[in-house]
Amino acid sequence: MDGELEFLFAGFAVVWAGLFVYLVLLQMRLRNLHEEVETLEERLAEYEASADPAPSVTVTPATNSEAATVRSPSDP
Amino acid sequence: MSAVATQTPENCPAALTSVLRGILALFLWATLPLYNARWTLLPALTGVAMMAMLVGAVIAAPREVIEGDVQRLMYIHVPSASAGTYFAFLIAAASSAAFLISRDIRWDAVARSAATVGVLFTVITLATGAIWGKPIWGVYWTWDARLTSTLVLLLIYTAYLLARSVAGPNDEQAARYSAIFALIGFLDIPLIHFSVDWWRTLHPQRIIFDPRPAVPGEMLLVLLIAFIAITLLMLWLVALRSDTEQLVQRTDRMRARLDQREPA
Repeated sequence: MDGELEFLFAGFAVVWAGLFVYLVLLQMRLRNLHEEVETLEERLAEYEASADPAPSVTVTPATNSEAATVRSPSDP
Repeated sequence: MSAVATQTPENCPAALTSVLRGILALFLWATLPLYNARWTLLPALTGVAMMAMLVGAVIAAPREVIEGDVQRLMYIHVPSASAGTYFAFLIAAASSAAFLISRDIRWDAVARSAATVGVLFTVITLATGAIWGKPIWGVYWTWDARLTSTLVLLLIYTAYLLARSVAGPNDEQAARYSAIFALIGFLDIPLIHFSVDWWRTLHPQRIIFDPRPAVPGEMLLVLLIAFIAITLLMLWLVALRSDTEQLVQRTDRMRARLDQREPA
């Protein structure tokens, strides 16, 4: 049969086309996810910028006689 | 007192839950090493097996005398139907059961991913079967029991995916209903498998899972390679999709937390 190879080719083409379409859909899903993460990062940065800055903390080195103490600028 | 209490019917669900949790732990123990190798070993093995399948199907396998070269589609069609479709929907059903037992939403992502891949392989199975059917049967489609029940399976899981996509990725109620739907949908698979025995069908009888296989050794060897290749491909695709869906769930939770913190 002359048309046999055409059917064989069509069958394999359908398989590869199906896999290709699936991978394209997966890529679109990942692209949307990438955009979503970028949006969340921007929102988080805006939120952190608008929130009150946390007080800075200084650590004094330990001496022989005393353990390390943690002081913040607001400590007396 | 406690010994008597454990035998009361009220405690039967608790015992059943313990048994189901044990089965879930066993399932995890068996599949976790493969899942952990999804970024390294699985793609490489899949690539090698797919190349071997192609060479085997197109070049190495002997030409069938009656059907000719179009019979070589069997090396794609049969593994896609069994290793691709059946196994992917088995994963979807098992993950749905795992979600119903553990209420861990990540199992819902695995179930949806496996159902998506199952739908892909069902389409491949139906398409390659139709292309084989035209030169052999003279028609692309006939309302045969095997073909019709496979089409019903495709419609069931397409409906499952559509219904699940309407709700959010972390919607537990939608996930619960979808899991029950996926489990009920799986009941169609034994119907497909045994349809050639239960009804008079045009579709060929089973040739592999039979005490005396009706194909020669060389063809069986290529079929075995094709089974391995399609199984690995299916597992890889499920793993890729599953990781993507779990990332979607995580970003959705992060968005919800930010919505709560930010002033309106």
